Amino acid sequence: MKLQVKLALYNTLTKVAIILFTGLLILLSIEKISYNHIEVRLENDKRETLRDLSSNEISHYLNSQKVYTDYNILKEEFIIIRPAKYNPKTTSEVKFTTETRGADQNEQTYRILSHYFNFKEHTYRLEIGVAIESVEELKSIIKKFTLVVLVIALALTLVSDLIFTKFLLAPFYKIIDRKLIKVNDPMNFDYEKVKTTTQDFEMLDDSISSLMKKISNLFILEKQFIANVSHELLTPISIISSRLENILLQEDLSEGSENKMHASLKTLNRLKSIINSLLLISKVENNQFDKTDMVMIAGVIKEIHEELEDRMDEKELKFTNHIKYIYSIKGNRPLIHTLLYNIINNSIKYNNIKGTITINDELADDIYSIIIADTGAGMDERQIENAFNRFEKFDTDEKESYGLGLAIVKSITAFHNIKVKISSIKDKGTIVKLTFNHEG
Amino acid sequence: MNVLIVEDEKGLALEVDEFLSHEGFTVEHARTKKSAEEKIFVNNYDFILLDLGLPDGDGFELLKMLKGLDKREDAVIILTARGAVDDRVMGLEQGADDYLAKPFSLNELLARMHAITRRKHRLESNDIHIKGLRVNIQNRTVMYNDERIALTKKEFEIFNYLVLNKNRVISRTNLTEHVWGDVLEINSDSNFVDVHVKNLRKKLSQYIPIDWFETVRSIGYRINI
Repeated sequence: MKLQVKLALYNTLTKVAIILFTGLLILLSIEKISYNHIEVRLENDKRETLRDLSSNEISHYLNSQKVYTDYNILKEEFIIIRPAKYNPKTTSEVKFTTETRGADQNEQTYRILSHYFNFKEHTYRLEIGVAIESVEELKSIIKKFTLVVLVIALALTLVSDLIFTKFLLAPFYKIIDRKLIKVNDPMNFDYEKVKTTTQDFEMLDDSISSLMKKISNLFILEKQFIANVSHELLTPISIISSRLENILLQEDLSEGSENKMHASLKTLNRLKSIINSLLLISKVENNQFDKTDMVMIAGVIKEIHEELEDRMDEKELKFTNHIKYIYSIKGNRPLIHTLLYNIINNSIKYNNIKGTITINDELADDIYSIIIADTGAGMDERQIENAFNRFEKFDTDEKESYGLGLAIVKSITAFHNIKVKISSIKDKGTIVKLTFNHEG
Repeated sequence: MNVLIVEDEKGLALEVDEFLSHEGFTVEHARTKKSAEEKIFVNNYDFILLDLGLPDGDGFELLKMLKGLDKREDAVIILTARGAVDDRVMGLEQGADDYLAKPFSLNELLARMHAITRRKHRLESNDIHIKGLRVNIQNRTVMYNDERIALTKKEFEIFNYLVLNKNRVISRTNLTEHVWGDVLEINSDSNFVDVHVKNLRKKLSQYIPIDWFETVRSIGYRINI
């Protein structure tokens, strides 16, 4: 769930709780206060009634052992005095109850005071009631009111919270979008601060920037390191290889030593190839190439086909070129050549004898793709996943693979903004699709 | 012919020196830009083998200085660890005659020096005579008497390289690199060089016996004259 929604929900829930709580509190206290008020009145009435006991009307009823009942006009109050079982010791205790009483099919809820008293050596039960309809009405009004307030408050809160948090979190999403999602290379990181008045976001922004700074410094260091190491290694290799060649010139050399010299030269050559590949990757990643050539893809493919023809013949491969479009991209010609060379070279290297290599292209919405398919060893999921890693080698009969070919492909495609996709089925073949971005 | 090696790596300079001396060159050695400048002012050289990264400056500056001098015909071959195409282009455009990336093969260096010499002196010896065959470097043909032996481009390259390096064992790696170029991830274990050599020998043997075209087991090839 988004932080914005979470915050809004939290706010809403707390507000609901507060409103409910205050509503309940008001309801309860209103009941309590009005009952108290009513009870005080009832006690006063009781006192007054008891004082007026000797009044003609009431004493008449009592003397004749009858029930005295008196309702006022709207039946909002009543007094009932009826004889009870004789109890010589009555207390001044009073009891309050809430009851529904009916009179003339008109039922009402009353708060009733009951009291036992002795009068002329008889015990009577006095009940004084007051209708509490008005209190109940008030209660239901408050209930409705609370509900309405609750709903309105909820709606308002939710909307205002959503709007406010959206506004509040805008810099946060901006930081995420601009500083994390859109940055695929720490070297191109945008150090400009995102405008915000929230300190926390400033902190986030600053820490991301300083982290990126550290990362890009490490990147630069790594690139420099590779470039330097490669340079520093090529000269010693040159010395050793020259030395070996000089030793080979000696005429008294035994055949065994000569073989060993040549084997060593070969090893040195491998080393040279590895270093040159690493150097190339590092230079590409260092943006040390320019992209000013107009490179015609079909032309490059044709050139590579010619170059590799004898290797294809050797494996008796069938090479089919189905390129339909004359498409040029702006880039670095030698690099594009190396890119396609490595891919086609791989499809030769991992192909079966008498296999095929097919090259297709397509143009859709100004986006040009080239598809190179072979009928070779193929790769499984894990191998595809790791194919672009440096020094990743697969089980093949080829001893001279250093696992750098596809790493070079990766850096050149990244440099030219070309999308590369490998799909492959084990033992069936591999399809490499290059999609050229129109702006190169 | 005299050669000036401008190279701060003493070890490498010594090896090149030893090799070229063995081939009959007179070799001098400068380890810094400054000492190279002094030597260049005093002497004319047939070849200057120029390293780009010098302790006290860039080899390109030496090249520029040299090209600024009058009446100099010193051939310059740049030797450098900077092997990228752009560097090569820059080196050649600034007036170098050739460009070799480290680590280079001494045989290739020698072959290139020979090629420069031929170009410079417009030698008749675009023709190399070998056992009744005539190899023309310029037209890239091999003739037997007046008959042209039909070789493919690659076959000619291989034969030409072996002839230029006659009496010397040339390894498959070396041959591959020379003929197919400094291709990344090249498969030197693969036998495609052998296929070409086999075809080449078959074609040649139709004209003359080729016992002088020797296969050195597990290493490479040698043309014995």
